Amino acid sequence: MILLEPHNLIIQTTLFDKIAKPSSLDSQFVDFDGVRFHLSTPERKTLIQLSMNIRCWDELVKYGAMDVLQREYGPSIKAQTEADYHISLDIDLEQIPVDEEARDALIKSMSMLKRNALAAPFERAFRQQKELESSGQAQSELMQIHYRDEEAIYIQASPDRVTVIFSTVFREETDSIFGKLFLPAFVEARRNPSLQNAPHVLYTNRDPPLEIRDVPGLRHVEDIGYVTFILFPRHFANASASSSTISNIQLFRDYLHYHIKCTKAYMHSRMRIRVAEFQKVLNRAKTEAATTERKTVTGRTMATR
Amino acid sequence: MSNSLRPYLAAVRSTLTAALTLEDFSSQVVERHNKPEVEARGSKEVLLNPLTISRNENERVLIESSVNSIRMSIKIKQADEIERILCHKLTRFLMQRAESFIVLRRKPVPGYDISFLITNVHAETMLKHKVVDFIIQFMEEVDREISEMKLSLNARSRTVAESYLAAFAS
Repeated sequence: MILLEPHNLIIQTTLFDKIAKPSSLDSQFVDFDGVRFHLSTPERKTLIQLSMNIRCWDELVKYGAMDVLQREYGPSIKAQTEADYHISLDIDLEQIPVDEEARDALIKSMSMLKRNALAAPFERAFRQQKELESSGQAQSELMQIHYRDEEAIYIQASPDRVTVIFSTVFREETDSIFGKLFLPAFVEARRNPSLQNAPHVLYTNRDPPLEIRDVPGLRHVEDIGYVTFILFPRHFANASASSSTISNIQLFRDYLHYHIKCTKAYMHSRMRIRVAEFQKVLNRAKTEAATTERKTVTGRTMATR
Repeated sequence: MSNSLRPYLAAVRSTLTAALTLEDFSSQVVERHNKPEVEARGSKEVLLNPLTISRNENERVLIESSVNSIRMSIKIKQADEIERILCHKLTRFLMQRAESFIVLRRKPVPGYDISFLITNVHAETMLKHKVVDFIIQFMEEVDREISEMKLSLNARSRTVAESYLAAFAS
């Protein structure tokens, strides 16, 4: 699995099981970026409540997350949100469509809750770009989404493009060195002729790019990297292109760190094999102890005590 | 094997073979103690002159010998940050398993990446030329392993980036 999936597998499989066989349920779990989910059946077995807690909820609401969620989930959104969570959805198993395709689509859309909430600022930026293009104004305001403790996404629309900037922190020294190797690869990969349609990627280490230089509270330390994606109108020309772009770009940070961890795991297993081989070479040096059985004249065996 | 590596390894091999003339030797300082003199450094007269064999400024071997033990330290080539981290990981991994590698020292001598300590006990229970073979093979393979890991890291980063961007292009 090279690419990460935008939906949450736990929600998907749990809903699938519960539709087949409703039972009481209470499970809490997490997704990327510290997003917490709670699946429960507070009233009856056939009414599942799905709640989500996301760190940057206030910012997302400011950039129109409620509209997107309303569009996606409509009547499922509960007026009374569960305490400690930011949004609650109701899934009534008695009113699930019988048609298999419609049912799968519903499950899929429920498992994309986090993706849809985070999609709001991107959709807003795509709309702003179209407005700016027709009105001929300069850039729109810079949207900031602090989706992790020290990391943020910055989105800005311009008349001819949408700029998305990720800041990412490498907590360990090894991660940071691997990151410095992986990030330039994104810049270089674009030179590949088959990837000419991909967004422009720029990468800076330590110093923030020009667009966000004036943002207060940026730290100038060695372990921060900034990756800028420049999305052109062709990346969000139609609904399906824009939704796949949003799903992809949201997961950039998780994708990068996931592969850094994978690399470390691979190195580890490789070293294990190498060490076992060295061990074999050293074992060849050991002289074998005499293992022949010693017997007395009468035929008895000598045993060591 | 490159041209400069061969004489380097040959020099290390003959020096090690010559240094591995060890005998049982009790401490002259404390009664009933029998310690590797190269570590204890209790009496000066049983220590021999340490010897450094350098291939270049980044790769060298230090062989310190004494009457009943020798200590051999290797400095592995580290051209850049990636190689430094790979070398550090590999040597740390090995040294954490030092008890199964009887001749390996748990900590390297300062200024080196990995150290071996061979005492007269090891020389008696193991074949001397095979121990030397092990160390030479280790030196050969560590370099190769690090450069292979680096290559695979580069290839991986390229694949990762390309498959991510390909998702946009489609």
